Amino acid sequence: MIKSNMPAGWSRRSILKGGTALAAAGLTMPLVGKAFGQDNALSFWQFYAPDGEVKPQVEWFVKMVNDWNAAQPDQVKLEYVVGSEYISGTKLATSFASGQGPDIFIISPGDFLRYYNGGVLHDLTPSIEEAARADFPESVIANRMVDGKIFGVPMEVEPMAFYYSVKAFEDAGLNENDVPQTWDQLLEVGKKLTTAERYGVLFETNPGYYQNFTWYPFMWQGGGEFQTADGKSAFDSPATVAALKLWQEAVNSGAAPRQMLGGGGGDIVANLGSGYCAMQNVGIWGISAMDNNAPDVPYGIFKLPVPTGGKYVTVGGGWAFVANAKGKNPEAAAKFIAWALASMAPDSVQRVVDWCTVAKSDMPPRNSALTAGGEAFNKGKMGIFSKDIHPGTRAEPRVPPEVYKIISDAIQATQLGGADPQATATAASQQLDAFLESYAGAPIL
Amino acid sequence: MTNVATSVAGAKPAAFRLTTRQREAIAGYLFVAPDAIGLMLFIGLPMVLALGISVFEVDGFGGFRFVGAANYIRMWNDPLFWQSLGVTVRFMVMLVPLLYVMGLGLALLVQRTSKFNTVMRSMFFAPQMVSLVVVALVWQLMVVDKLGVLTRFAASIGLGGISFLGDPNIALFTVTLAAVWFLMGFYMLIFLGGLQDIPRELYEAARIDGASSTQSFFSITLPLLRPTSFFVLLTSSVAAVTGAQAFDLIYVMTRGGPANSTALLISYIYAQAFQYSAFGYAAALAALLVVLLMVITVFFFVVTKGGRFDYE
Repeated sequence: MIKSNMPAGWSRRSILKGGTALAAAGLTMPLVGKAFGQDNALSFWQFYAPDGEVKPQVEWFVKMVNDWNAAQPDQVKLEYVVGSEYISGTKLATSFASGQGPDIFIISPGDFLRYYNGGVLHDLTPSIEEAARADFPESVIANRMVDGKIFGVPMEVEPMAFYYSVKAFEDAGLNENDVPQTWDQLLEVGKKLTTAERYGVLFETNPGYYQNFTWYPFMWQGGGEFQTADGKSAFDSPATVAALKLWQEAVNSGAAPRQMLGGGGGDIVANLGSGYCAMQNVGIWGISAMDNNAPDVPYGIFKLPVPTGGKYVTVGGGWAFVANAKGKNPEAAAKFIAWALASMAPDSVQRVVDWCTVAKSDMPPRNSALTAGGEAFNKGKMGIFSKDIHPGTRAEPRVPPEVYKIISDAIQATQLGGADPQATATAASQQLDAFLESYAGAPIL
Repeated sequence: MTNVATSVAGAKPAAFRLTTRQREAIAGYLFVAPDAIGLMLFIGLPMVLALGISVFEVDGFGGFRFVGAANYIRMWNDPLFWQSLGVTVRFMVMLVPLLYVMGLGLALLVQRTSKFNTVMRSMFFAPQMVSLVVVALVWQLMVVDKLGVLTRFAASIGLGGISFLGDPNIALFTVTLAAVWFLMGFYMLIFLGGLQDIPRELYEAARIDGASSTQSFFSITLPLLRPTSFFVLLTSSVAAVTGAQAFDLIYVMTRGGPANSTALLISYIYAQAFQYSAFGYAAALAALLVVLLMVITVFFFVVTKGGRFDYE
């Protein structure tokens, strides 16, 4: 007789039966859960609330949705997605690929064309009153518009500038009068500030949309563009080559690092705050980051230096609310977005002010909010942005991913790969022309 | 009626009675079924679907357009594809031998049973217990320009100014080292298992015959470790090509930079699918990757006669 090693009372048949029952239960449970969990609320995906880490930002989102839900029949439900997953993960892309994208979500200019050309952005224009439309400066709203129609409402404007460590300047025998105003001065001061343990100046080195975003103003300052008015590549120009050369020289001279700390070039606390660099190219969000996380580090801010004969310009990024054209109720989603950020009602204007002053430190995308915010936008370091830096802001370009990649490769090849800027610009320009020739989506701006 | 029904249910006709062999076979299939169904559903079916969409232009928003072999032809003219394939091959050529040598070396060092060796085995295996993202962040800090521990050490031996992750000529090597550090404990365990299967008598006989330690290693240990070596070389090659384990590491440490020098083919597939919404092209690239893996696997099987060895 074969001796079984199964526990007493168990048989092969009982194990198979049990396994079948468990499998059936496992397969049907999600269906049961779905049947009970039917939810007609409009889903709103973003990386702030309700589970975000920054309390004022969580509160702003929650209050906004609660206020809407209290007065409207079409309910909105916040769904938090971790920032790294939202920006560079698979969740958003796979949700749209499977036809289950969120009803409302937020996008940056870098992603606008991908979603617009994919046909999932709903026209918000009918929901926005004309006075509110005129309240958004052209430089802010243009890259969210196609053929005169609005497809995204910006929450904020985040212009780029330079931050500097007061201590590093003092250690090098410099003061605020030595703040660089030209590219040559930037390199010169950068070298003076460089020590055995500190870099003088920091530009983003990680490849990605953010690096391109921070590089554009250097191209624009000398009059460069990546595209001509008739849709051809304009990348092979002296201004573009000069901008590529500037970043390359900063690295080659030893004044700028090839690698960064923390979250990269946008992380001011990990780099300037830690003493890793003396000057850092960062956006307006650096103010709240330093105030909250490095309050004992004295710092100053100055606008981007310009090349000889160039014109001051900086770039302004920022995210926008958009509605999914293939969502449950695009009309209701559009009404929510207009009510939240693009209405002339005082609470809508105040909501923008609160986002830019309480929840974050940003410039507002609306003229009325700039006025209503009053002193909050003019005092201290915010005042430097509103008076000196923001007036030269140009909207972040919206480009298809293929164009982003061509420009990114050119920046990386010259900045860190040691490639010749002129030859790189020429090659990139040829690639751009090849792509633009077959491009059939919305205009690239 | 009731009586008839009872009699029908109770007395099964002889024609439907299964033999013991048939019942054993059915039970066997039923036990294998969960795994087989799971594999077919979650591995087999997606592979077939991926192969299917590789002949379509898929925009990621529900748009499909049949393009035939266009995605495969596009690969031929795509310099970034060739670049990422080159990086993947270089990564494999560095990673596989280093993992083999480190895994075997560590296993030889700690093969004897003692409290000290037990502690050392745990320590060598410890990186496997940590999230790859944490491993990547720690390595990033160790090699950061000017301030990193390894950067300072390099400066102290006359290699000042070196940028482990910022120089395109060095970055892939640095990432490979981090991957080896992370994976070597796992392969050490595999080799330990292989070493323990080698009969002690063979070493004693060799010693009596006057063989040195080196001679014993090359004449006994290495030949008898061939099945283990086959497994290690095959799995580490597959890991290198698919970027398994290395994907997170590279994403956090370099994001494929500088200048695409650490952008593996798997990273390029990811970018095409999830950054460019070119799911069709990404599927074609993935299909090519599978072919590449099959070639490697078949190569190893042919060389080792299907994983069997002459002494078996």
